[in-house]
Amino acid sequence: MPYLGSEDVVKELKKALCNPHIQADRLRYRNVIQRVIRYMTQGLDMSGVFMEMVKASATVDIVQKKLVYLYMCTYAPLKPDLALLAINTLCKDCSDPNPMVRGLALRSMCSLRMPGVQEYIQQPILNGLRDKASYVRRVAVLGCAKMHNLHGDSEVDGALVNELYSLLRDQDPIVVVNCLRSLEEILKQEGGVVINKPIAHHLLNRMSKLDQWGQAEVLNFLLRYQPRSEEELFDILNLLDSFLKSSSPGVVMGATKLFLILAKMFPHVQTDVLVRVKGPLLAACSSESRELCFVALCHVRQILHSLPGHFSSHYKKFFCSYSEPHYIKLQKVEVLCELVNDENVQQVLEELRGYCTDVSADFAQAAIFAIGGIARTYTDQCVQILTELLGLRQEHITTVVVQTFRDLVWLCPQCTEAVCQALPGCEENIQDSEGKQALIWLLGVHGERIPNAPYVLEDFVENVKSETFPAVKMELLTALLRLFLSRPAECQDMLGRLLYYCIERPVNSWASDFNTLVPVYGKAHWATISKCQGAERCDPELPKTSSFAASGPLIPEENKERVQELPDSGALMLVPNRQLTADYFEKTWLSLKVAHQQVLPWRGEFHPDTLQMALQVVNIQTIAMSRAGSRPWKAYLSAQDDTGCLFLTELLLEPGNSEMQISVKQNEARTETLNSFISVLETVIGTIEEIKS
Amino acid sequence: MSASAVFILDVKGKPLISRNYKGDVAMSKIEHFMPLLVQREEEGALAPLLSHGQVHFLWIKHSNLYLVATTSKNANASLVYSFLYKTIEVFCEYFKELEEESIRDNFVIVYELLDELMDFGFPQTTDSKILQEYITQQSNKLETGKSRVPPTVTNAVSWRSEGIKYKKDEVFIDVIESVNLLVNANGSVLLSEIVGTIKLKVFLSGMPELRLGLNDRVLFELTGRSKNKSVELEDVKFHQCVRLSRFDNDRTISFIPPDGDFELMSYRLSTQVKPLIWIESVIEKFSHSRVEIMVKAKGQFKKQSVANGVEISVPVPSDADSPRFKTSVGSAKYVPERNVVIWSIKSFPGGKEYLMRAHFGLPSVEKEEVEGRPPIGVKFEIPYFTVSGIQVRYMKIIEKSGYQALPWVRYITQSGDYQLRTS
Repeated sequence: MPYLGSEDVVKELKKALCNPHIQADRLRYRNVIQRVIRYMTQGLDMSGVFMEMVKASATVDIVQKKLVYLYMCTYAPLKPDLALLAINTLCKDCSDPNPMVRGLALRSMCSLRMPGVQEYIQQPILNGLRDKASYVRRVAVLGCAKMHNLHGDSEVDGALVNELYSLLRDQDPIVVVNCLRSLEEILKQEGGVVINKPIAHHLLNRMSKLDQWGQAEVLNFLLRYQPRSEEELFDILNLLDSFLKSSSPGVVMGATKLFLILAKMFPHVQTDVLVRVKGPLLAACSSESRELCFVALCHVRQILHSLPGHFSSHYKKFFCSYSEPHYIKLQKVEVLCELVNDENVQQVLEELRGYCTDVSADFAQAAIFAIGGIARTYTDQCVQILTELLGLRQEHITTVVVQTFRDLVWLCPQCTEAVCQALPGCEENIQDSEGKQALIWLLGVHGERIPNAPYVLEDFVENVKSETFPAVKMELLTALLRLFLSRPAECQDMLGRLLYYCIERPVNSWASDFNTLVPVYGKAHWATISKCQGAERCDPELPKTSSFAASGPLIPEENKERVQELPDSGALMLVPNRQLTADYFEKTWLSLKVAHQQVLPWRGEFHPDTLQMALQVVNIQTIAMSRAGSRPWKAYLSAQDDTGCLFLTELLLEPGNSEMQISVKQNEARTETLNSFISVLETVIGTIEEIKS
Repeated sequence: MSASAVFILDVKGKPLISRNYKGDVAMSKIEHFMPLLVQREEEGALAPLLSHGQVHFLWIKHSNLYLVATTSKNANASLVYSFLYKTIEVFCEYFKELEEESIRDNFVIVYELLDELMDFGFPQTTDSKILQEYITQQSNKLETGKSRVPPTVTNAVSWRSEGIKYKKDEVFIDVIESVNLLVNANGSVLLSEIVGTIKLKVFLSGMPELRLGLNDRVLFELTGRSKNKSVELEDVKFHQCVRLSRFDNDRTISFIPPDGDFELMSYRLSTQVKPLIWIESVIEKFSHSRVEIMVKAKGQFKKQSVANGVEISVPVPSDADSPRFKTSVGSAKYVPERNVVIWSIKSFPGGKEYLMRAHFGLPSVEKEEVEGRPPIGVKFEIPYFTVSGIQVRYMKIIEKSGYQALPWVRYITQSGDYQLRTS
């Protein structure tokens, strides 16, 4: 289909709809109308052809009528004035000899949803309620509710309500159910339709004639009816018993609810009722439709909340199958957790343990939490399983197990000993905030029973600077203080360090960085730059040779010679140990223009340290350098020759680029020394490149 | 119930069809559906019910379509899902296959059907047989003015039209039992149940009255017959046409059937039976080099019976290569897109035992992601046999014209969800 703007399409369709030749040919006419509907469905604004579509409604072709009416219902709120023109045709159709046409017209008219339509639809609806065809009566009954909604909660038409109540005795089952639905909507403000004894008994007797939707609906309305005597209650329950066996899950659920509600008023029949609804619910839980199965499982859980153990003997029905969707598995795990008893605990735990190593981390974690839940009653078995899980050394498992332990020792202190024995070694497999917090809490509270607790905490203290979660730091502070009280000797020193760290870092630590490079670079980036700087500062103290010797394995012998020859090769003589401060470098760098720019091939990873070392050899100092592997990678270098000429250099590796960009600045414009400096730099970088490959 | 609107969306969440029934939820809300679905899926918290503010989306997926019902009320969830499934069922009977293409090709009929299926958010006529009488697929056929209301729309028996005529009056009864089995990796049976259905194919004239007799234990007890050859049915469910009150009183299954195919009843048996086909497997994985699989299948049913079309699918790692098989009977095939070996045996007599060996190479570089442990699945069909021993004792057909009709009965046992976990 060629692309056309919606205006062009509307224009073209308008022309086609007006064309008398097309109008004369019914099939072509209908095809054009179909196209209008198709575009409407695709979301194009077709309201432009409203007039023409209204005209098209005057036809004997019922399919065409349906399409036009569908169109009208969609656009009537946009074009209320034009829609009024259609009312005439609609009214005429409401008295068509064909009941299908009458029903269609009435249904469409009630669905117009535009202001002012009420006065036109009132009479057709009243006629429709008395129509001899039940098809029309069904439509008219629901039309009453639609009309009431259009009025916008105005006063209730008493006569109409009475008419609807009397139609509850209609012989057509759908009319009966629609009456209930309609009354419910109209009487919303007054608490809905009233179900008195005659209506209730009438509905109960009609139940078997209704379709599944009607049955479910009626069951829902019957909730409002309170049997007067126990005898009546049992009659109702007996009458409705067969609906628990319906093939429609909706009806089964409806009947279940009715049974439960009715039984609420007569507590001594409750157990019997629960036994009766058990089978149907279980069947629904293994329904073919996943969604219905899900709904049933949610309801089973609800029952289990107040009646734990109600489904215990059927625990195997809640074992997960490999291909089930996630949401069903999670529900089943929850259910299993609730129905555990002495007889089945072994099997349930065994099953749950299988889930703990599932590929899906979420499901595995849910299973572990479930075991944790069961552990409140069957502590020993569960703690043993959980401890075994720690042996798998899987991060997502360890973290959840430790969290489960934390909750467990709180509720079941008797398992503390076992938990404490299981903990050592866990810290290696925990990375997330929740898990760390749980572990630190456990170490703090029960640290006196865990021999290596202080040392594990010490690791956390050491790394507290790089800890990103504030909650973990808080937990660490509390835990360490606790442990200090029971094991002061081992904890005093690190507690001091931690406190120092916590106090010395002012809350608005960023204020000191204000108006500096830090906000420009971003905090993390600057941290790495300044770290390199720190390392740099101690370098000059080391004798040149020793630093070179240390890099021995990194730079092979033959290269070393070449490198060492370099300083003599040109007129350039770089002065060693000419150390610039970062501030001075920065100032100079910003004040100078780039004297030379060049690109060298560069591939893959390398060790910045190697580079730094090599540069050191030729008396080029590294001022600052990004961390290895970061992209973009940058380094700032400085060097000075014997005449006092400064060479400032920036090395830049862009991500994804296999080139190193070199920019050199010079404080005195001397081309020949610049060229020599660059050749030195080239050689060094070339050498490093060679070593790598 | 009360659904506010029903949408049919394509895979990307674009509405193909939308029908606003109630007008109390803005139609534009559907735009939130797809992003919400994707978000929940990423969080691993996907459920058949999603909500955005006041609006609840109840959805199901069918091939490449999403069917979504929106509601702002505390609706009856199982009823809404049932309705969506019913809608799919009706569409399928019209278009054979329900997918994006068929929706696009038949959107006029889809709109017509949606119009009849539901009004103001309440299901109306949902029986596809009856709908087919007045919404026809040949929409090109112009019925000018003479379209009539089929009698069924107003009939007392809403599932059968009057005036049906056949030259030869016959009923075909299929008794089908599916075996669901779940076996643990250590060989213990976790779950074993039988789901039975009785399906009817009815070619009968007029308004016949049918009565079905089964060897139902409760009935036998009622009538004082010996219990030997009777079956205890649990959880029996009937088609709407069956008079439930009569079944409750004297266990008689009496009904006026719909025309054509339908499911008369279903039942369940959770009595433990010996697994019909028992599988023992050894799957040995030698990291970086190979996987060796040995599967032994044993038919644990009567020697006279034969299982047909047996297919045993054994999981293999997804990075396995160069398969080699050896089977004592049947043939094995590697299906890489499903990561299984399928061992097919055309006919498998009871009491027999067969063996398959498979050998796969594994790459020396192990892949990173961990794989699940899919179970071994088994498919089979055993004709002329029911696990439960259920029997159709009689089928009485009474029609006022007094014709003689023939009932034909067929029994079959097949695999349902038949899984054996692997370690």
